[in-house]
Amino acid sequence: MTKKRQLIFSLVRGALAILIALLVAMLLIFISADGNSFGQRLSATAEAMKQLLVGPLFRINAQGIKFEGKRLADIFAAMIPTIFTGLSVCVMFAANQFNLGAEGGIMLGAFSSALVAIYVPLPKGLHALACILVGGAVTGVVMLIPALLKVKLNVSEMVCSLMLNYIIMYIIKYLMNTAYADKSKGQIQTYPFLNSSKIPALTQASIFTSSKLSWGIVIAALTVAAMGFFMYRSRWGYQIRMIGINQDFAKYSGMKVGFVIVLSQVLGGFLAGAGGGIEMLGRYPTFGWSALPGYGWTGITIAILAGNNPCFVPLAAFFLAYLGKGCDMMATYANVPTQLIAIVQGVIFLFFAAERFLSKYRQSLVVKTANEEIAAKMALAGGGGSLPQAGASGSQDSVKEGGKKDE
Amino acid sequence: MGDEANREEYIVQMKKIDKVYSNGVAANQGVDFNLKKGEIHALMGENGAGKSTLMKMLFGMEQPTSGEIVINGESTVLSSPSVAIAKGIGMVHQHFMLVPSLSVAENVVLGMVPKKGLFIDKEKAVEITRQNAEKYNLHVEPEMRVADIPVGMKQKVEILKALVRGARILILDEPTAVLTAQETEELFRELTALKKEGYTVVFISHKLNEIKEITDRITIMRNGRSMGVYETKDVSKEDISRLMVGRDVILNVQKDAAKPTDVVLKVRNLEYVNEWNKKMLDKVSFDVRKGEILGIAGVEGNGQKELIDMLFNLNVPDAGEATVNGKSVIGKPQAKIREMGVSLVPEDRMLYGIAAQASIEENVISDRCAKKELNKGPLFHMGAIHKLSEQLVKDYTVLCKSPAQQVGMLSGGNIQKVVVAREFSNDPSLILADQPTRGIDVGATEFIRKKLVELSRSGIAVLLVSADLAEVMELSDSLIVMHNGRIVAYFQDTGTLSDEEMGEYMLGLKEQTPEEIRRVCHD
Ligand SMILES: Nc1ncnc2c1ncn2[C@@H]1O[C@H](COP(=O)(O)OP(=O)(O)OP(=O)(O)O)[C@@H](O)[C@H]1O
Ligand SMILES: [Mg+2]
Repeated sequence: MTKKRQLIFSLVRGALAILIALLVAMLLIFISADGNSFGQRLSATAEAMKQLLVGPLFRINAQGIKFEGKRLADIFAAMIPTIFTGLSVCVMFAANQFNLGAEGGIMLGAFSSALVAIYVPLPKGLHALACILVGGAVTGVVMLIPALLKVKLNVSEMVCSLMLNYIIMYIIKYLMNTAYADKSKGQIQTYPFLNSSKIPALTQASIFTSSKLSWGIVIAALTVAAMGFFMYRSRWGYQIRMIGINQDFAKYSGMKVGFVIVLSQVLGGFLAGAGGGIEMLGRYPTFGWSALPGYGWTGITIAILAGNNPCFVPLAAFFLAYLGKGCDMMATYANVPTQLIAIVQGVIFLFFAAERFLSKYRQSLVVKTANEEIAAKMALAGGGGSLPQAGASGSQDSVKEGGKKDE
Repeated sequence: MGDEANREEYIVQMKKIDKVYSNGVAANQGVDFNLKKGEIHALMGENGAGKSTLMKMLFGMEQPTSGEIVINGESTVLSSPSVAIAKGIGMVHQHFMLVPSLSVAENVVLGMVPKKGLFIDKEKAVEITRQNAEKYNLHVEPEMRVADIPVGMKQKVEILKALVRGARILILDEPTAVLTAQETEELFRELTALKKEGYTVVFISHKLNEIKEITDRITIMRNGRSMGVYETKDVSKEDISRLMVGRDVILNVQKDAAKPTDVVLKVRNLEYVNEWNKKMLDKVSFDVRKGEILGIAGVEGNGQKELIDMLFNLNVPDAGEATVNGKSVIGKPQAKIREMGVSLVPEDRMLYGIAAQASIEENVISDRCAKKELNKGPLFHMGAIHKLSEQLVKDYTVLCKSPAQQVGMLSGGNIQKVVVAREFSNDPSLILADQPTRGIDVGATEFIRKKLVELSRSGIAVLLVSADLAEVMELSDSLIVMHNGRIVAYFQDTGTLSDEEMGEYMLGLKEQTPEEIRRVCHD
């Protein structure tokens, strides 16, 4: 297929997937909408859809529709942790390691960063960096548990990391309640972060007036680029991918399979942990998470949508953040139950991920391109295009005769 | 020929078949193909000509882009293999479709499993397999795990699988690529018997002798088009290769006498007893020297696979030692073994040889991705990598759109070329070549054999294993014969050997004295 046709296909496919999903969503909203008459329900549905589609970026009121930078900033802010967990899952899944530890990882990273931010005074700038690195490093080290168990004892990394999430969560909860609790406060939280550790907000840019959006988004963008190079332009990323495709091949080729598998999970842990630190320092005054934040699960969705390619992680993260924001808007302003929102998200995801969706249309484009190529070659060869035949014409004739009679 | 009524009976007609794959490769263009009841029909053509593609469509694995398939006079859509099987079509694929972790018997009855209550009746499965193996004279070990059996046996399991399912039209995609001459003979006897019973066989092979021996008609393909149908007896081998390749092919590799120098590979007293208590290696000792090709002849399953496995640490022997340039390779990680300059063309390319979903480029750098020439600081030197892969694709005539194409989408022979290109080009001091020309067409076989001789003459030690006796005899400077895990003969010079004599050694009817055999150790 030509590049152009490839692009057209991707666009058509994406648009159609969203459209179908929206139609399904609309139907569901309509069924569950308040209102007695058909008309009332219809207008309620229309209102909900408007919130879902344009609500994330625009304020909708009687005067009309107005772009709001704050909402865009909110979406970007929501992308910070999920970009990191998305990247984390990409690296681990690319090596065919179904490590689900990004969820606990981001919480652990956030907590370890928080401790450094509270108890280790350092100069401004350096402090934040140290927090993030410690958050990443601690999580990376903890990921050695599933990684080494897998490599040495062939323990399923999936089961192990899944359990690990809860172990991490309960240990952190325990520590928050005891050693590190700020007893002067009514709720369970740690002492406030030192000011030197905070990641400043991106309020300088005039359209972003949200205080939630920190410089973390810039770090995330840089990390995406770095990971893109790592996975597709470095020998380490290359080995991770080859191991993911065929481990026996990698081993036979002389790669250090065990080491690379450990590396992928430690790096995945580092990314999740660092993401946790960045999220914490850019957004909160103190550590107060008392449950798993859910970013790790979102990261899995993102990695799958992105096909384990870091370069597509921001797109997938944006898509999910936009959808999330739209659903929030819908819940707030249009009275749609949150359960329904989960269904809508699921439906959209389903169509996006369905590989065979529209494959017939794709095949027709492919065939068209191939035929054009063949025709072009024929024209080049001088119009004739009949390939030379030699020898044994007698027997060939007899075969042809047979064929004719059959027809 | 005289029987008019039968002559018109086409049981399969494929008319004007076009096939364009999802990546835009037009693998078949307007191909006409038909089968008469009770014939053995050869399908021939170079690597990538479109043979497997055409047959996959007849077996319902791929759908034609356009064209019609008529079976028994009825226009049919073969939407899946199960539809084809129901129509009495069976296919043995070029690449094995077996479940490695299951036993031979379980593989044979897969999908039609005999049950005992809720459970698989393993005994029954073994029984069925044994009976059919006997009936069709295809010797297999029903209870062994498929992962542990040699390729030749895997091939027979595949054929059995198709027969057990009641196929009356049998498609065999390169069934003999890994069979020895004797096994091929046996298979041919079987096919001839099946033919007499009215079975129809499509036979794909790159070996002209076999085609001449067993087939009735030949369809020749080139570049995705049919070059016509011929009666086998009317065309000579030269005609066939000219039709396929478009030029004359000489398969006789010229080589000057070897001048072997220092010992590179030294194997001493290797012993290995497999899970079923069969002694696969029995005090195997030999040397391979710089500048020589040492061939291993023998019927498949006499320890060749195990020997190669030990030398590349894909398995560990019970006793014995093997060194390359003085350093032991037993139990060493493959990374270390490769560092010593050992290359391996594995017998089963799909298992170890490639990462199917990666590009050709990514596959040819797998053994050298950390090398200085291909890296620039922490990143790959993409320019150097592109150059390397383009060069290899060109040198080894890999038929592809570009080196960025997925290896899994190449034809079988072209996949083999990718593996060979990588293993021959990494500056080795020892090449372990296990079936190096498996599934490769005549033209490319000629090239690879020449290349192997050229490499050995440049001072590389080569250990060659091949099921193709002619290949071993022709390429090897000297030769050992393995039988029952032992070396039973050593010939310093292959020039004077006759096939008959070799046959006697290979079947264990004759054996040299220990003194004669010990000459292969050059201490
Ligand atoms: N799954 C696939 N996807 C895309 N292209 C494919 C696929 N399988 C085969 N091709 C392409 O179709 C062409 C014909 O391949 P095919 O496997 O039919 O060749 P073949 O005649 O069987 O060759 P060989 O002798 O090497 O087995 C090749 O150019 C190959 O690259
Ligand atoms: Mg093929």
